[in-house]
Amino acid sequence: MSAQAQTPFRRALRSFLEQRTARVGLLLLSVLVIAALGADVFASYSPIDVLIDKEPGAIRLAGPCINALGCEGPQHIFGLDNNVRDVFARVLHGARLSLQVGFLTVGFAIVLGSLIGAVSGFVGGWVDNLFMRIMDVLLAFPSLLLAIAIVTVIGPGLINTQLAIGIVAIPIYARVMRASVLGLRDREFVAASRALGASEASILFRKILPNALTPIIVQGTLGIGGAILDVAALSFLGLGAQPPTAEWGSMIGADRNLLFSSPHVVVFPGIAITMTVLAFNLVGDGLRDALDPRLQR
Amino acid sequence: MTTYIVRRLLVSLPVIFGILVAVFVITRLLPGDPCRALLGEKATEVACAAFNSRYGFDQPIPVQFLKYLQQVLTGDLGDSIRFGVPVTQLIVDRLPTTIELTAISLTIATFFGIKLGVRAATKRNSRTDVSTMIFANLGVSIPVFVLGLLLAYFFAVVLKGTPIALPPANRYTAGVIPTEIAVAWGLAGLQGPLRGLLDFISNMAIPNAILTLNPGNLIDAVKHLILPSVALATIPMAVIARITRSSLLDVLGSDYIRTARAKGLSEREVVSKHALRNALLPVATVVGLSLGGLLSGAVLTETIFGFAGIGRTISDAITARDYVVVQGVTVIVSVGYVVVNLIVDISYAYLDPRVRINS
Repeated sequence: MSAQAQTPFRRALRSFLEQRTARVGLLLLSVLVIAALGADVFASYSPIDVLIDKEPGAIRLAGPCINALGCEGPQHIFGLDNNVRDVFARVLHGARLSLQVGFLTVGFAIVLGSLIGAVSGFVGGWVDNLFMRIMDVLLAFPSLLLAIAIVTVIGPGLINTQLAIGIVAIPIYARVMRASVLGLRDREFVAASRALGASEASILFRKILPNALTPIIVQGTLGIGGAILDVAALSFLGLGAQPPTAEWGSMIGADRNLLFSSPHVVVFPGIAITMTVLAFNLVGDGLRDALDPRLQR
Repeated sequence: MTTYIVRRLLVSLPVIFGILVAVFVITRLLPGDPCRALLGEKATEVACAAFNSRYGFDQPIPVQFLKYLQQVLTGDLGDSIRFGVPVTQLIVDRLPTTIELTAISLTIATFFGIKLGVRAATKRNSRTDVSTMIFANLGVSIPVFVLGLLLAYFFAVVLKGTPIALPPANRYTAGVIPTEIAVAWGLAGLQGPLRGLLDFISNMAIPNAILTLNPGNLIDAVKHLILPSVALATIPMAVIARITRSSLLDVLGSDYIRTARAKGLSEREVVSKHALRNALLPVATVVGLSLGGLLSGAVLTETIFGFAGIGRTISDAITARDYVVVQGVTVIVSVGYVVVNLIVDISYAYLDPRVRINS
């Protein structure tokens, strides 16, 4: 083995790619990113365009029409919804929204959670006690219920929903970060920095934090799937994205009573959510196995 | 053991207090005027002033908080804005349905989750293992509302007319009316807490049918419960299967298992008598933690299947902007969740001496 192959990054990358499930996750994720970036190219309709008077023969809840399978007329791979909009376009644009939502929500929770956890673990004493008891209380709620309560008060909408889901997720990252910082703060390199005259803030943010990021990244990747699920659930209940926004949860919520006559309005966005969450879970599991030194064989 | 229980209780009290503070903070201090939220955007200044003084919103925050604490501790969670009845009444009426649904789901999830996990671990890397883990990965990724809707579609529409068709909504078939247990037992005149308890149980469809000796209702109630409880159980079942598998694999690699095998025990005995007992300890924790997910999932499941439970009450209250109900139900369900976790922790310490000694 060459010396180059021994760098931690390369070893982790190899260990990650050796796992079949992680490769599947990565593949699914690439499909999603391509679908999201190319939504305007792949879909020939706008996600919010009502086609009723614009296209001859376009009727409410029309089933999938695929030219390659012999269907004449305008092609709607996933059919039309109750408002005569192209479901395929809405699902693709929903991918863009869901990826955004996942990263933003988890990013928000990671930044605040890491800050709280880092300060808590580094300073210790009553600060630690206070912060961690607040985190305990947040964790004591069934998560979706707390998010619902917050959104009910601050008002429905996609931004507020992300804020609520983000707040609910803070304690997870705070705990992970605190545990990492506790394990690092008494190490020699920290003592060395202190001896060289580095300020406490600089020690925490420039020496300890960069070394404590790995578990946060793993937790965050696993958290993105959960965040997408929760935002979709709140949108399903009517608290999240508002019409006519193409969001998977609200698409299903809006048309769920039509399931029995036109299953396509629920099935396609449902598959899209499941696939997205699955992708992040598989990649997250793969990262955890690749980066956790205890699991190294 | 007693010291452990006392210490654990003492830790829970501040958490419960914290829940009350958090709910108070969310409803009173976050941006948003309760008057405008309840009376509508166009409420006049006069109407708002009257509203604020009626509910005490014009008083200093600490005074409001003490008043709120006093109300909650005396069992007063306010009146529903939409129905005008006390929130506690709504909870007593509707909580039984939710308890029934989550209890059955948790049982299904635990039983089949452990079974799947054991099967996957003992046949590691076999086709059974791989397919179980694919199922587990899909199970944690599919949203409960999608799974619920798909199950409803499949069993009520696709299989319509076949013997295994199942109803997609409601707790009973229209026309089936449960008898109150108290009435069936000739105790209609009974009053007080005992009657309250009987009525509470009466609102759970399956215990009701059994206790009133009504086999027709029992079959109907069970049929209506299958789809929602399977939908709700899928995520925790997948999680439990994964934990059981990895925990059992850990244990199977340990020295004492090698000893047991060296003694000449069959693989079956090694797993069931020696390995499983230790492997199930982390599973017990996960079972306790899944309850939070089940309660969250119940909001969606009850909405889809039209159950008049506590979850449906919340989602209806959201639509009606009845935030007194949202607030009251959140407090009760969260406190209940803390109490159940407390019980799980204590039984965990009872099962594993290391826990009560180390912590």
